[in-house]
Amino acid sequence: MSSKHMIEAKNLTKHFEGKIALSSLSFTIKQGELVALIGPSGAGKTTLLNAIARMAPLSSGDLHLAGQPLSAYKKGKLLAKKIGVIRQQFDLIGPLAVIHNVLAGKLSEWGIGKSLFSLLVPQEKELAIKALERVGLHGKAFEITSTLSGGEQQRVAMARLMVQKPEVILADEPVASLDPARADDILAMLTKIVTEEKQTLITSLHSVEYARKYFTRIIALKNGEIFFDLPTEKVTDDLLAELYQLKSGDMA
Amino acid sequence: MKSIFRLHNRFILSLVLAAVFVWSLFSIQWGTDLFHAGGIPTMLQIFEGLIHPDLSTEVLSLGFESAWITLAYAVAGMSLAIIYAFIIGILASGVLASNKTSIIISKVFFRGILGFTRSIHELIWAWLFVAAVGLSPYAAIFALAIPYGGILGRIFADMLNDVSEQPIKALKSAGATRLQTLIYGYLPLICADMISYTMYRFECAIRSSAIMSFVGLGGLGYQIQLSLADLKYDQVWSYVFFLIGLVLVVDIWSNFVRKGLTERKRRHGFSTGWRSTFFAILLILGSWVYIKLGENAQLFELLSGKNLEYAKKFFGGMIGINDRQPAFLDTGSWAAALKLTLETLEMSIMAIGFATIAAFFTVIPAARNIANGSLTSNKKWYNWFLYGIVRVVYIFSRSVPELVWAMMIIFIFKPGLLPGAVALALHNFGILGKLWAEVIEDMDPRPIRNLAAAGASKIETFFYGILPTVLPRFLTYILYRWEVIMRTTIVVGFVGAGGLGMDFKLAMSFFNYTQITLLLLCYMILVIIADFASESTRKAVK
Repeated sequence: MSSKHMIEAKNLTKHFEGKIALSSLSFTIKQGELVALIGPSGAGKTTLLNAIARMAPLSSGDLHLAGQPLSAYKKGKLLAKKIGVIRQQFDLIGPLAVIHNVLAGKLSEWGIGKSLFSLLVPQEKELAIKALERVGLHGKAFEITSTLSGGEQQRVAMARLMVQKPEVILADEPVASLDPARADDILAMLTKIVTEEKQTLITSLHSVEYARKYFTRIIALKNGEIFFDLPTEKVTDDLLAELYQLKSGDMA
Repeated sequence: MKSIFRLHNRFILSLVLAAVFVWSLFSIQWGTDLFHAGGIPTMLQIFEGLIHPDLSTEVLSLGFESAWITLAYAVAGMSLAIIYAFIIGILASGVLASNKTSIIISKVFFRGILGFTRSIHELIWAWLFVAAVGLSPYAAIFALAIPYGGILGRIFADMLNDVSEQPIKALKSAGATRLQTLIYGYLPLICADMISYTMYRFECAIRSSAIMSFVGLGGLGYQIQLSLADLKYDQVWSYVFFLIGLVLVVDIWSNFVRKGLTERKRRHGFSTGWRSTFFAILLILGSWVYIKLGENAQLFELLSGKNLEYAKKFFGGMIGINDRQPAFLDTGSWAAALKLTLETLEMSIMAIGFATIAAFFTVIPAARNIANGSLTSNKKWYNWFLYGIVRVVYIFSRSVPELVWAMMIIFIFKPGLLPGAVALALHNFGILGKLWAEVIEDMDPRPIRNLAAAGASKIETFFYGILPTVLPRFLTYILYRWEVIMRTTIVVGFVGAGGLGMDFKLAMSFFNYTQITLLLLCYMILVIIADFASESTRKAVK
């Protein structure tokens, strides 16, 4: 595995309406790592992912992406080449055909003329078709996206990411609304593609089982702090029990 | 105290609105004096004409020709309105603006433009254009395009602002620029709603186009006006039936388009969507070609030196150039105009009151799910019969423009507020009934069936199940129609139905330019009051 540092976080802190959402988090993630973010609801998983994707500003702290501070990526287009985001199925434009939603991953490279023309005659069609084939959606390129099932829409979002080809993929509860069989399917596919493309993956999950099954490293958050940060094989059941335990105050 | 208000706020609000309506009724001296001496016989003659319309070839061929002119003006006007609404609407939504200050500036500025253009009724625009550039089809087309563009643009902007954020954020994180998020995100997301709203407005544009004739621009309204002047009521109805037919065809087409949009089938081959698009393009081209060649209208002739001179004189006159005592700076004129403003307000309240009462008593049989018994699981043979009758009455009522209703009613009633209110009510009751019936049709039937299963009678079901569910939306539609009525009061005034409109027409005839400005100012005050009152009432119901 290459030792290139993709993400370096130092003392990330975020206040939210007077409360501390993230308190002084520090960690380093290398290229090619598959990191699962786990922890009880409200621990700060989504806040952390949003901060890395620059969708919500931090209160203080240093965040470096591929050796450069996050603020150095001035244009959205530059950042899009580094970081891609996938969430539950809310990311897609329902009334558009699947292929346009996939090709939206190319918008960072296309000018306005080409993007407009592509809505009439899809550009770089083979790229999109290939991506759709890899996620198992043969022949669905010209269907209206909103007619697809939840699992299928999630695959379309993955195909978009494959076209976008960012170095880091952030996934926020990507399987939260899917049934177990489909969730397994999506995560297997996601981790496989990421490994093949030598990308880096950070996923927030609420299922410890999936975290252990598909990821190489687990970062556990609790009350905005890092509770543990270990390679998957070193995570014990005792640690997990303690992570999800209610506060002693709540028990009484 | 507060909680009691909260619990009963809809009830209290309904009482307040009813009280306002009763207050408005006091503005009229009730009695037989309201009718013309020959009013009742005239009414019977008009009614006879309705049963025996003139169907001679002469009238029919003229009817077809006029219907085509009306359609062509409406299509041409709408095509310009769409362009205007699309550009200004996007700018007014602020989705292209980069930071907070520019969002606010673009919203205030462009929404202001949209607000101004739609607050003035199309017939007044037409009158202003005719006064400025003379009788040209372009006067009608621009007069339609400007207010309709204002309405469409405002709705487009609202739709763009209501788009859910997640897909847009996802596009931004994929590196899309603002323009790209517009064409890959915002526009596809609102496309279906945009088309269906435009189709609905197109239907209204047909009616507006028909009344353009009242300022002397050809079409169905012109024929109606001529026949009325000749007291040939049988011909009047023939042309009214042409207008109803035209509105119906557009209505059916727009239902067809809307259905195609909601079904969202796979795009294979020549689907309904493409057929409609093709037809629309053909219609737009046909209309423009006809206006250019058939009517030989020259756009550039409008800009001739003579016309520019007229326009300069007209608009200069409106702002009081060469007038030592402009009406809008004169206290006496203001007092008189404000009295008319109050009358117009009363007329509008009476109109929506009458329309509400009429719609309230007819709406239940007009809902399809009541007619087929699926809502109440109670099937009666006469339900379909009633449904048919009420729906035909609704179509009839809303297809005839207020102005045409007013022209006929003025033969029965003496000039004043009442004929105006009745004419406005006659037109709006059909619209209100149709909108309400759709609300009932969209209801979730399960709670109602449950009530029926629990042994509630028909009337109990209505008060416990249907009314509480639909009341907020009913109120919303009443207020919304009231806003529209407010804009139209000035128009029925043209034919002698009282209020600001009657004075407006006089001022126009006497070339009293500054008085026109004053009346337009009063009228805008009214529209702003209506917008504000209905907006705050709507919030209170929520």
